[in-house]
Amino acid sequence: MTSNRSRTSIECEEFQRQLPEFFDSGQDLLVHRHVQSCQNCSSLVRDLEYIAAQAKLLLPIHDPSPAVWENIHNALTRQQKDDDKSS
Amino acid sequence: MDDAKILPRKGGTHIDSTMKNTLRTADKPSPTPAQPLTAEARPVQQQQRRNPPIAGELTAIAQAQQGDGASFEILYNMHKRRVYSLCLRMLGNVAEAEDLTQEAFLQLHRKIGTFRGDSAFSTWLHRMAVNVVLMHLRKKGLPLVSLEETLEPAQDDGPRKDFGTRDLTLSGSIDRVTLERAVEELPPGYRLVFVLHDVEGYEHNEIAAMLQCSIGNSKSQLHKARMRLRSLLRQKANGKGAA
Ligand SMILES: [Zn+2]
Repeated sequence: MTSNRSRTSIECEEFQRQLPEFFDSGQDLLVHRHVQSCQNCSSLVRDLEYIAAQAKLLLPIHDPSPAVWENIHNALTRQQKDDDKSS
Repeated sequence: MDDAKILPRKGGTHIDSTMKNTLRTADKPSPTPAQPLTAEARPVQQQQRRNPPIAGELTAIAQAQQGDGASFEILYNMHKRRVYSLCLRMLGNVAEAEDLTQEAFLQLHRKIGTFRGDSAFSTWLHRMAVNVVLMHLRKKGLPLVSLEETLEPAQDDGPRKDFGTRDLTLSGSIDRVTLERAVEELPPGYRLVFVLHDVEGYEHNEIAAMLQCSIGNSKSQLHKARMRLRSLLRQKANGKGAA
């Protein structure tokens, strides 16, 4: 039991060390040999893929306050006046 | 990873030219032979999906380029939400996000004459906003990339009862508000890479150029960000049951 567990954990460590590259390669990790035999890493892969997929759905939901446009407008007006003066 | 110690350069005026170089490099993504085509294609599609053409935009751009103030205001209203959300997610702070939204649009006003239409206007504008935020963070002397910390391998938490036995994965358990809050809780360096890659759809080679770190560093930061999010989200999923 103990030896079995530590063997598993070394395999997990090795697999997880390569995960950043695996993810970037775009391959289907759920068919990876280790993932198919390891519930720990299979749940990890599912979670990380789920998080990445959910992140793509994060839409811009925040609006800046009206003061932002007022400041831009004022800055541009000031700039326009300076340009007129110097020309 | 030995590329871990690469920190962004700090300083005053020389940053400006650095940022211009970054912009130029990133506008023409350099080929990364290590990446198969599928990994490249995905974010491009995402960019297109997230930046669909807006009706009337081309006319507004043309007129704003001629100095028409009303058209510039139209462009502001078309894009303010995207630009502000990007700033807010990168910075995690409303006041700074508003300041930098303002700065991004003032920069747009100065540079709109140079927009040639070889990329989508929104893509061009968002890149400008990203660079405004990054320059701001550099001026504050903040490292754009978190210091490398060792990542403990995820252990089998099956036997623990706290996550509940019915659900071993997060799938379906988080809504967008929860994810948004968890992203806010990420350490700044992790948050930057996560927002740029997973939310905004930039590729690792583009992010590496923007943050002046290696591609490997960008990948490892993203992985750590997702790992941190996973543990934050698991905590939240547990908390929900208990509260
Ligand atoms: Zn495993």
